[in-house]
Amino acid sequence: MSLTILLIDTEEERARALEEKLLESGFARVLRAQGPDLGAIVEREHPDLVIIDMALPDRDALEDIRAISSGRPIVMFAGTDDPAFVREAIAAGVCSYNLSGVALADLKPIMTSAIALFQRYRHVETELAAANALLDERRKLERAKAILMKDKRMTEPEAYRWLQKKAMNESRKLSQIVEDFVRAHQDAQREVKP
Amino acid sequence: MSDIVSLEARKSEPRLRIGILRLTDSAPVIAAQEFGYFADEGVDVELITEPSWANIADKLSFGFLDAAVIVPPLVFAIELGLRGISQSLIVPCGISLGGNTVTLERGLAARVRDAAQSLSMPQALAAEIRGRDAPLPLGIVHAYSTHNLLLRYWLASGGIDVTRDVKFTVVPPARAVDALASGQIAGFCAGAPWGEVAARAAVGTTVATSDDIWRNAPEKVFAVRRRWADDNPEGLKGAMRALLRAAQFCDAPENASYSAVLLSRHKYLDTDSHAILASLPGGAVTSQNLSRFWRHAATFPWRSHANWFLQQMARWNLIDSGLDHAALAARVYRPDIYRGVAGAMGLAAPLADSKVEGAHDQNWTLDAVPGPIAMGPDLFCDGAVFQHESAPVAQ
Repeated sequence: MSLTILLIDTEEERARALEEKLLESGFARVLRAQGPDLGAIVEREHPDLVIIDMALPDRDALEDIRAISSGRPIVMFAGTDDPAFVREAIAAGVCSYNLSGVALADLKPIMTSAIALFQRYRHVETELAAANALLDERRKLERAKAILMKDKRMTEPEAYRWLQKKAMNESRKLSQIVEDFVRAHQDAQREVKP
Repeated sequence: MSDIVSLEARKSEPRLRIGILRLTDSAPVIAAQEFGYFADEGVDVELITEPSWANIADKLSFGFLDAAVIVPPLVFAIELGLRGISQSLIVPCGISLGGNTVTLERGLAARVRDAAQSLSMPQALAAEIRGRDAPLPLGIVHAYSTHNLLLRYWLASGGIDVTRDVKFTVVPPARAVDALASGQIAGFCAGAPWGEVAARAAVGTTVATSDDIWRNAPEKVFAVRRRWADDNPEGLKGAMRALLRAAQFCDAPENASYSAVLLSRHKYLDTDSHAILASLPGGAVTSQNLSRFWRHAATFPWRSHANWFLQQMARWNLIDSGLDHAALAARVYRPDIYRGVAGAMGLAAPLADSKVEGAHDQNWTLDAVPGPIAMGPDLFCDGAVFQHESAPVAQ
């Protein structure tokens, strides 16, 4: 079975990985595209399936090919007879359009690969975001300690204990206390210097 | 410690995930969230800014969103399963009136404006289109959008054959300005603030607003998954109380600058707060394109609005011709729920479910309890009068 798949994804690395995987499986011709005029690309290339990143606003253009130009039938999510499968795809951030009415059973392995890749990327992104948040918290804590050491002439351990005590007294997280403290300090600075 | 507290709180509070796009009329929902109105009502709300209408629709369909600030034609498309699987929705309140612009590329706009001294604006555009050898490419934000229906209505009123003279391209609102600048489209109909953003970037000129097509035209509504509403009746009422409070805040001219700064934040509209300000009540003296959130019964879910949208969807073959509009409108639009919530808050609510659309050329007074509501004009650009139901309607 030879299918033409159009991959639309701004995540260059992910798109390349998916393309390789699909080509390995041997039953697909893979095209990659980007840009706002997806409607025109679809009209030109006649793909059987479009796999697109849900975070791309451009996918509105695909959905409305039928509604606007009364073109070929377009089925979302490669068939909607398996809601659990579609839910998994959406949760992973991938959306598909089946443009030529190929059966879901034929497209499922392709979509499964896409979902797995998107999930892996999402996982990496979540970990990265968590790491960044942690770093940000650390930076702010350092900043708060520096402010206290300068303004209140505290030593570093004193400054840390002061913040910790404040967090315990107000039963809030240390990170929240630090965040508010740094912001209040910045606001005060801004008022002094117009 | 605080984690445990918040987990327990979540158990008792109904959790409501609301989808929004980067548009001025997300204001009441954003204000209700940021000022703690939802929290006051014990509703745990998560606002999710989506990149496009397709995402809003899919996530509602598959239960990833419980509610959305959405264009009414898309509510019917989801309800009817016209794009993917169907999900039953209700509209217990409206969000905004007006706010859209028809914005053309600057050269085209100047020619149309010159010609419009002796003709109506759409007639002048029609004359311009007759001089072209290819259809005019115009951007709309989604096939099932207010914008598609209003733009078609306006173009047709000037004698333009929208199936032949115009080529519609779907461009999400936040992308419309780029598409205009790159020449992909010659104009667009989109919600605020994108017409103003185009003008400020010296890319486009607005030649008409929602009000030039239909005075005080309904724009966004608050749609909720029927199942969520059934499972959380008190949560729905709480969310609506917060929204009605926020609508009054956002409609007050003195609050415009607060709202503009709030909306311009990175996680919401992520654009110039001055452009947003121009589309808020009280935001700009000269602006002709205001979103209205409270005045003129902006939050009431009029069944006559629903019926008008369905009539226009049928006109352009977006829905089957045999559909019972009145029954569908009554199933989805829920003025009964609105009256219950508004009544308990002491806010005025209209007595009728429908009104005659297009019959008022100036301000008028609407029967409501506990007191009447001051209404604005509701004329259509072609002078049509729309009355769908035989049920009692407000005149």
